[in-house]
Amino acid sequence: MGGCDEPECRQILREVERYLDGELDPEAGVRIERHLSECDPCMRRASFRRHLKVVIAERCSEREAPSELAERIRALIDRLETADD
Amino acid sequence: MTVRAATDEKHLRARFEREVLPLLPSLYGAALRMTRNPADAEDLVQEVVLRAFRGFAGFQEGTNLKAWLYRILTNTFINDYRKRQREPATVEGPEDVEDWYLFDRLGAANVERSAEEEVLDRLPDEDVKRALESLPERFRLPVLLADVEGFSYREIAEIMETPIGTVMSRLHRGRKALEKVLWETARARGLVDDERDDGRM
Repeated sequence: MGGCDEPECRQILREVERYLDGELDPEAGVRIERHLSECDPCMRRASFRRHLKVVIAERCSEREAPSELAERIRALIDRLETADD
Repeated sequence: MTVRAATDEKHLRARFEREVLPLLPSLYGAALRMTRNPADAEDLVQEVVLRAFRGFAGFQEGTNLKAWLYRILTNTFINDYRKRQREPATVEGPEDVEDWYLFDRLGAANVERSAEEEVLDRLPDEDVKRALESLPERFRLPVLLADVEGFSYREIAEIMETPIGTVMSRLHRGRKALEKVLWETARARGLVDDERDDGRM
């Protein structure tokens, strides 16, 4: 476990997912940050998880939609409007 | 149509184009991860934008537009597209995956500091996409909505019409399953020199 067998470490590592998701209240967040700044093995795990989130976000998104799709959608909206008039 | 109604409609359409159309790339990306193929993703996005256009007059300005659109996207996908999709038979439920699955394996395979993160960086984009797409839908959607789209647990609960506790548990299990697929991908790519006994996997 890379040195993270202390009860406090286990508790922190259980909460770190919600911390990285920005879902912990500020007080709990401060507690996590304090622990991470003092505990290298936990910090390494948290950094890895943070990095994994970034990798997933960057690699699994698309920078643009196919240009025909945008054109098709505009044309459809135009046609809908005309039909509604 | 009265002049007033025509003017209102013109404004509504201008607002729709200004606010919704810039979100097309992100809607398309999410649709692609949902349907797993470009033709279905385009059809799905088109359907979603049309539904959104029809419902836009009822959408309250100032509330969360992106979450509203993703709710239409998720509903349309689940109701109209899911039946056409075949879930990959190879991915079982992630129940057997322990916490810190990927870190512990990468840590065992590499001794250098930060080596774990470098392995992630060296995975080809397509592999990471395929890994996410290989997850069963009930785990794939929360991971997509949280990690790719950046929605909060509460927003995901509203988008998926699921209790927040269910979102948290599926997100946790989905991420573990994703770590397992990424580990297998890294091994298949020869990115890790793994000598541990994987009998328990």
